[in-house]
Amino acid sequence: MSLRSVMSLAALATVVIAGPVAAQQPFDENKYPPMAGQWQRVGPLGVFDSTKPPARGQEAPLTPEYQARFEANLAEVAKGGSGDDPVHTCIPEGMPRAMNLVLPMEIVITRNTTYILMEYLTMLRRIYTDGRDFPKEEDPSWMGYSIGKWIDEDGDGRFDVFEVETRNLKNPRTFDPSGLPVHEDAETVVKERFYLDKANPDILYDQITVMDHALTKPWTVLKTMRREKKPIWVESICSEGNVHVTIGGEQYMLGGDGLLMPFREGQPAPDLRHFSKQPAK
Amino acid sequence: MKSQLAAVLIAGAFLATGGGASAHHSFAMFDALHPIEIAGTVKEFRFVSPHTILIVSVKGQDGVDKDWILEGGAPGLQVRDGMTSKSLKPGDEITVTINPLHSGAEGGSYQPMQVKFKDGHPVVAPK
Repeated sequence: MSLRSVMSLAALATVVIAGPVAAQQPFDENKYPPMAGQWQRVGPLGVFDSTKPPARGQEAPLTPEYQARFEANLAEVAKGGSGDDPVHTCIPEGMPRAMNLVLPMEIVITRNTTYILMEYLTMLRRIYTDGRDFPKEEDPSWMGYSIGKWIDEDGDGRFDVFEVETRNLKNPRTFDPSGLPVHEDAETVVKERFYLDKANPDILYDQITVMDHALTKPWTVLKTMRREKKPIWVESICSEGNVHVTIGGEQYMLGGDGLLMPFREGQPAPDLRHFSKQPAK
Repeated sequence: MKSQLAAVLIAGAFLATGGGASAHHSFAMFDALHPIEIAGTVKEFRFVSPHTILIVSVKGQDGVDKDWILEGGAPGLQVRDGMTSKSLKPGDEITVTINPLHSGAEGGSYQPMQVKFKDGHPVVAPK
């Protein structure tokens, strides 16, 4: 086989392996809006709807069953517990809570995938833009499976809106630290529209609509972010120094001496049945 | 335990810190409605994720030093408030307003703006 034949076969193999989309036009970054870079939350910390107060103040359209669950969670929280918020044990926030954006995020646009790198808890959103469909069989994850589409709404030859749909999510998750619940079936669907402010390209919006069986209707909020022009990044590895511990369903905290402390007044010590009663010599 | 807590109170009424530090999780285990001020010596300052940890040795009414563990915001939040891993070091004498644990154990939450050195200077300037 000649060298030319080998090279032709290699080129053909590249097209076959990469698929039909990759064989299309070359990636032209000038067609994309200037969303790359660091984006900071605008608005209060730890709420899904940035325009409303936390917890009940969010006025989430919960079904009666999930409103009752939320109220039970708030009653538990009032006694000093963490309630239904799973993040205190270093479980990632997942979607859509990750977009509450405790700490900044970075958008990285590539030909077939757009990435959102979140400083907080080192969460990563991988949004496929290569035309694929949702997988039929894939284990769920906290960040979910995201498919995106860049859209040229005004027909000027440049994309101006990034539509994203996220499915295949994993529990436990909540909308926020107050324990606002998602349904236990984890069939949440999150639809987003990212776009820059027309007058100020340093402002980014994310219109988020959540469909979830804990809700009586889709819940839509508008997130606003501002571009940080002198970004710094701080590593956020949750297991490094987390002092919150769950044992037998009870939550405790490690004290200054490294030993367990109670959260609540009168909280019993953990069940130590698996330890010998006499200290080892 | 509540009486021990009372022994280290310097003043009773301070601004509630609310949920400002609650980046990582609910801070419901801390009593935001009844903040207290404690005074003591920094034993350890861990500038770690998910929350910074400040351990302060506080003399109780019985004269015995006890270590209080104080949980702050994420390092990423505190850095942007002007705090660094070198802002506090062992031996620093400080006063700090905290939201104490509901349980009465020696723990609570703190925010950088509420930590002051012995001479009254804040660790980070208010924004």
